[in-house]
Amino acid sequence: MVNYRVLAVIKRELKEKLMSKTFIFMTILLPLIMFGGIGIQLLLQRDEAKSTIDLVTESPLLTESFQTELLSSDLMKDGKYTFTFYTMDRDDLKGFLDKKKQALLEGDLTGIVFVPESAMKDKKIEYYSKTPTNPSLSRRLESPLNKVLIDSYFHNRSLSLEELTFARKGIDFAGFKVSLEEKISEAAVGNLILSFIFSFLLYLSLLMTGQLMLQSVIEEKSNRIVEVIISSVSPKELMTGKILGSAITAMIQMVIWLSPIILIISTTLFVLPVEFTVSITMNHILFLLLNFAIGLILYLSLFGMMGSIFDNPQDAQSGMWPIMLLIMIPFFIAISMMQNPNSPIANVASLLPIFSIMVMPIKATVVEVPLWQLIMCLVLNTATIFLIFPIAGKIYRVGILITGKKPKWSEVVKWLKYKY
Amino acid sequence: MHALEVKNLTKTFDKLVAVDNASFEVPEGSIFGLIGRNGAGKTTTIRMMMNIYLPDSGEVVLRGTKVGQDFKNQVGYLPEERGLYKKMKVVDILHYFAELKGKNGRDIHKKADEYLKRFELYDRRLSKIEDLSKGNQQKVQFIATILHDPEFIILDEPFSGLDPINTNLLKEIILEMKQRGKVIIFSTHLMDFAEKMCDHIVMIDHGKIILKGALKEIKSKYSQKNVSLTYDGDISFLNGNPIIEKISNYGNTTGIKMKEANQSQELLKMLIDRNVTIKKFDANDISLQEIFIELAGNEAGTNGKEARNG
Repeated sequence: MVNYRVLAVIKRELKEKLMSKTFIFMTILLPLIMFGGIGIQLLLQRDEAKSTIDLVTESPLLTESFQTELLSSDLMKDGKYTFTFYTMDRDDLKGFLDKKKQALLEGDLTGIVFVPESAMKDKKIEYYSKTPTNPSLSRRLESPLNKVLIDSYFHNRSLSLEELTFARKGIDFAGFKVSLEEKISEAAVGNLILSFIFSFLLYLSLLMTGQLMLQSVIEEKSNRIVEVIISSVSPKELMTGKILGSAITAMIQMVIWLSPIILIISTTLFVLPVEFTVSITMNHILFLLLNFAIGLILYLSLFGMMGSIFDNPQDAQSGMWPIMLLIMIPFFIAISMMQNPNSPIANVASLLPIFSIMVMPIKATVVEVPLWQLIMCLVLNTATIFLIFPIAGKIYRVGILITGKKPKWSEVVKWLKYKY
Repeated sequence: MHALEVKNLTKTFDKLVAVDNASFEVPEGSIFGLIGRNGAGKTTTIRMMMNIYLPDSGEVVLRGTKVGQDFKNQVGYLPEERGLYKKMKVVDILHYFAELKGKNGRDIHKKADEYLKRFELYDRRLSKIEDLSKGNQQKVQFIATILHDPEFIILDEPFSGLDPINTNLLKEIILEMKQRGKVIIFSTHLMDFAEKMCDHIVMIDHGKIILKGALKEIKSKYSQKNVSLTYDGDISFLNGNPIIEKISNYGNTTGIKMKEANQSQELLKMLIDRNVTIKKFDANDISLQEIFIELAGNEAGTNGKEARNG
């Protein structure tokens, strides 16, 4: 199938793509944007704005306890939190809220925490704010508030300090990853971050490579160059050359993107903080790349086919969404699967041809996947290529020579029956 | 000996018969014209010859064997719709096209440079195609067609859209290739060009071959009753004359068809008697255009459906 003509096409594609500004730009910039994005997110989470909070309880005793606890807690250390304490009952609270409304809306006051007397029974406290759903605030306040409530609750009962400490303590949910290797290791967030990175890289690469393929086919068609070329090579050879050229480009890009990760797992040059330790092997990376290569050929056949149907990019947009969905749906499954990698949807999607191109490598990063499933995934996707390629090739062969009005889908189906 | 034989080619698109049982032979060393109006089936025929379309039935035979990839390598093809990669450099695109034909290496690069010099494009060889003028792009396209020294040159409507300088250049190339023993096949709807350049022609209309053979023989067969005339004066007295069958005005020349052969002397005498100034009087001459109109013209204009892609 690969002869000197296909090689010539591949060579031209590689030269055009690898030297293009887009390629160089995206290869360097994408990781920067991604890590930059993660960095900004971390920064945003850490760097909270100054919070001014009014804490209102219904009894002076409770107010005093909160005052003692909060003012001596970690919260006060970096000076980001300012508390003012009030004691009033629920009836007065309404008036108080009205009075403070202006300050709340203007942001001078971040929020009002109301601890009613009933909290001593059901631990329900109220929070009034312009942004009541701010998770970082409730997370940070939860522990000291809880402590005070527990202390007050047990205050009059004779409990030892030891018992009290236990009661106060929250649960530390340490996750242990169970794998075939029989050593049960404490899972770090490293793999989660890694699977996140993998999903994004696969997703972006497929989208980008596919778009470029589509554009390139349309360009050849609308430039009328395609007939000159197929007077020398067969349409199938041209398509094969274009797909392989694009696939090789994308593989090179992917290897460049993954090279930091490959370095980290194959050498000891870099020491990551314990909580970011990644527990994957070179085999993971190899599987990901192999699966990606198969996936590229699959998706690129589809994109090439779509490109051949239309002769301008505007029309092509309308034909592209089915393939875009075939990239986007697996991506969303992959992203949501990280929380629950053994859900039925994840299990099906990790073996379903086309879907598994993105889902399986991510799943294998988060949990241990049996070897037979990995092989099955590769085999099924390869088989799908053999199913799709002849159809795509046929449509491509007819499509590239037809210009003029946008064909109807029913016409495209008819092309399959043409003897070309 | 025939270089190329086209045997009973038929191609149907949906319900439209684009080419209907077409057979013709292309002799060695000739310039062969495929003539017909737009949509007659010329491009479809050429595409089947190039193995771009597979025929519904029939075959194309190259010196005794059915055409395939082998033929593609020996052909320089200039399609009607032509183009180049806009972002590629002139030399790169020439080398690429040669490489697709299996020609690679220093020799072909040297040859590309020679052609570029001859076509006065050498100083633009590192420019991108998009930076060239349209005329220069056409020159690059010619070079790409002949750079690999093809045995056959197939040109689909080669003169459409060419400026006069490139038209002459292309004619020059065609004649030069003929001298070197190559076979040149071109399609055109411009009868003038075909008449001036072709040795052999095939006339195609509505997908059917309506005329084929050596141009000289065809012309002598159709010209016996014809006179082509250039004059000054009034010839309206000829209307209704018993020896005249038909008078057709082609602008500069007038074609006169007599009822019987060998009445041209009689006609000449009448013209001189009436003091018509005769600038050119060509007996037994007929233009390809006249032949075409005689054969296909009676239904010209009622031609409602056009074959796809020519």
